[in-house]
Amino acid sequence: MVVAITVLAYVFIPYGYNNQFLLFNMMMYMALAQGLNIIYGYTGYLPFGYVGFFGAGAYGSALVIIYLHWSPFPAVLLGGLAAVLVGMLLIPLFRLSGAYFSIANLAAAEALYYIIANPHLASVTQGPYGISLPQVYDPNAAYWTMLAILVFALILSGLMRRSRFGLALGAIRENPVSAEMAGVNVVRSRAIAWLLSAFIAGVSGAAFGWYISVFYPETVFSLSITVFAIVFVLFGGSGTLLGPLVGTLVLYGAYNYIGISTPQYFQLTYGLLIILLVLFLPSGLTSLLRKRGIDVP
Amino acid sequence: MLRKLVLRVVLAAVATAVSLGAWASPSVIKIGTLYASSGYFSQASTRQYDGLKFWVRQINAKGGVYVKAFGKRIPVKLIAYNDQSSTMLAASLYNRLITQDRVHTLVADYGSVLTSVAVPLAQEHRIVLFDETGTSGKFFRPENRNRYIVLTGLPTSSQWPKVLAKFMHSKGIRRVAILYAANDWSGSQAKTLNQTLKQDGVDVVYFHSVPDSTTSYSTILHSIAEYKPEAVAEFGYSDNDIAFVQDYANSGLYFPMVFIPNPALHFEVVRKAVGNKALRYIYSYVAPPIIRYNREVTYGPTLNEFKAAYAKAGGKNVDLSTVAGFNTGLIIQKALATAPKFTQESIRDAIDKFSGKIFTLDGLFKVNRYGAQVGEFLPVGQVLPTKTGVALKAVFPSESAVAKAVYPAPRNK
Repeated sequence: MVVAITVLAYVFIPYGYNNQFLLFNMMMYMALAQGLNIIYGYTGYLPFGYVGFFGAGAYGSALVIIYLHWSPFPAVLLGGLAAVLVGMLLIPLFRLSGAYFSIANLAAAEALYYIIANPHLASVTQGPYGISLPQVYDPNAAYWTMLAILVFALILSGLMRRSRFGLALGAIRENPVSAEMAGVNVVRSRAIAWLLSAFIAGVSGAAFGWYISVFYPETVFSLSITVFAIVFVLFGGSGTLLGPLVGTLVLYGAYNYIGISTPQYFQLTYGLLIILLVLFLPSGLTSLLRKRGIDVP
Repeated sequence: MLRKLVLRVVLAAVATAVSLGAWASPSVIKIGTLYASSGYFSQASTRQYDGLKFWVRQINAKGGVYVKAFGKRIPVKLIAYNDQSSTMLAASLYNRLITQDRVHTLVADYGSVLTSVAVPLAQEHRIVLFDETGTSGKFFRPENRNRYIVLTGLPTSSQWPKVLAKFMHSKGIRRVAILYAANDWSGSQAKTLNQTLKQDGVDVVYFHSVPDSTTSYSTILHSIAEYKPEAVAEFGYSDNDIAFVQDYANSGLYFPMVFIPNPALHFEVVRKAVGNKALRYIYSYVAPPIIRYNREVTYGPTLNEFKAAYAKAGGKNVDLSTVAGFNTGLIIQKALATAPKFTQESIRDAIDKFSGKIFTLDGLFKVNRYGAQVGEFLPVGQVLPTKTGVALKAVFPSESAVAKAVYPAPRNK
C-alpha cells in the first residue's frame, strides 16, 4: 500500500508540478532515509558518515561512465557496489559502539572525501576539479531510475521489518549480547544490514550524479546529506517503513517552502521544528499513531 | 463562395492572432537568480546579488530595459531565491526558476560550485545562463556542445595566472614554490602557473596541495623554505589566504615574493583579518574596482560613476563581486537591446555579435564560441604602503601598472 501510493505519487505529480529536481531530491532523501533506517532503525547503529556511501556511489558510477564508457544503468548498479565495497572496508568499525561508532564513521567518510578530492589522484578521480558527464545527461531517465531505487528501498525495508532477519536485527538493537545468546549471528546480521544500507546510498548517489551530471567532491560528500537523512528518519520515526517517508515529506517539504517564502527565518524555523520534535516527539511523528494503538507499517 | 471567403478570413485572423501571441511583449522581463545569505559563499554571493539588484533598480528607474524585439522599454522583475550555499538546494531552485517562474533570463549564483548545477539545467531547457563568476573551465569545453552559457564577470580561472607567470619571468625569478588548496578554482590556477612557468624554463621547486579546510600553514611554510624559492604562490579561498599570510608573518621566514589571489576579490576582508603590516608587499591579482576602467568604457557607467551612484543609493563596500553582478545586468541589457527576436537563440546570437566590441566597467567583454570569457585579464598587483595604511596597486604589465613593483620585498617590512 505504502509502496503503491509512493509510486503513483511520483509517477503522476510531474504532470502537474514542473520542478522535477525537487521531486527527485525528495525521492532521493526518502531512499536514503530508508537506507539509514535499515542500519539505524533496525540495529541502532547511527552512521554520521553515511554520506560516504553516497559519494562513493556517485564517483564509482561516474568513473566507469568516463573511463569505461558504461551506459548509466549498469553504472548506477556499479555505484551501489562501490558503496558496498567501502562498507566492507568499514565493517571493523562495528567493534565500536554508540557515539564512538558514529564519529569513527564520520571520520571514514571525510577520509574518503579527501582521497577523492586529492589533486594527485586527479588522473583517476578528477580530484578537486569535479565530474562532468554531458555525454549521458538525461534527467528524465535518472528520475525514473531514482523512483526504482526508492521502490527497492521501500520493499527491502518492508520485508526486513516483518522477516526473521528483521527480528534478529531488532534483537541486536535491544541487546547484542542477549541476541547472540539467543542464537542470532550478530556479526553476520549486522554486516548484511550495513551493506544493504550502503548499497541503497550508493545507488542513490550514482543516480544523483547522473541527474545533475556536473558535480564536485564537496557536493556529493556534503555532511548535510547525512544530517538531512538522519533528521528525516528521526522526525518520522525510526524502525518503521512509514516514518522516514513522512519525515522526508514533511521536513524536506518545509525546507523548500520556508527556504523560498521566508528565507531570512529559515534556520530559525527549521531549528525550532527540530527542537520541538526532540522535546515532545522523541520517537518521531509515527509515535503519535502508535500511542493511539494504530499499527504503523 | 462566400463560405470559402469567410473561412479564409477566419483562418487568416487566427493565424495573425497566433503570430501576435507569439510575439506579444511580456509585461515584465523576468530575471531569475539565486544568492546565498548564509554558508560558505554568502559574503561574495550577497555582494554579487547587490550589484545585480542595483542594476535592476537603475534600469527600472528609466522605465525598464529596452527590448529590441518589441521596440520598447519593459520593466525588469528580479526573482531571487536563497540557496544558502547548498548545491542541492540551488539545483532545485534553478529548476523552479526555469519551470515554475518561467524566467526569461537565468543568472547564476556566485562561483563555480553554485553555478555547476545550473549549467546542465540551462542547457536542457535551452535558456541562456549568465554565469557571473563560475570560472571553471569544464563549463566551457567544446565537447559539452553548450551554447547556453555566457561567462560575464571574470575569465576562466585557468587563465588568471598567465600574467603572473610573465611577471615572475620578467623579474628573473628562477625558483618558484606553488601551494594550493584542493578545489577546482585554486587547483586550476596552480596547474596553469606550474605549466606556464615550466614552459618559460622556471624551476617549480615545490608543487603541493592542501585540503580546503587547512588553517595552519606553519609546518608547510618551513617545508617550502627548505627549497629556497624566490617566489611562493599560494592559491586558496579567503580563509586559506588569511591563514597563510598570518602564519607567514609569524614564522620569521622570508621569501622575496609571496602571492595570494584573494586580495583582488575581497581586499578589505583579507586586510582586516591579517592587518596592514602582514599584508605589506604581498602580491595578488588586480581586478575592478581596484583597477579602475574609466576612459576605456564604451558601454554603461564608468567605474567611478558606478561607485558614486552606488554609494548615493546607500550601497557600501563595492568589491569585484558587486561589479560582476552589475556588469551581468549590463550584458543582459545589451543582449536584449540588440537581439532582433525575443528568443533565447536570438539573445545568444546577439551576445556573439557584440562580443569583443564593448568595454564595460569590468573590462573588455569578449566570449569565445563556448561562452568562456576571454576579453578580461587580471594584471598583477602588490600591496604597497600608503600614508593611511596599505593599498593594492597594479604593478604589471606596464600598460596597467600604476606603481612600481617592490621586488624583492624588503626583509624587515
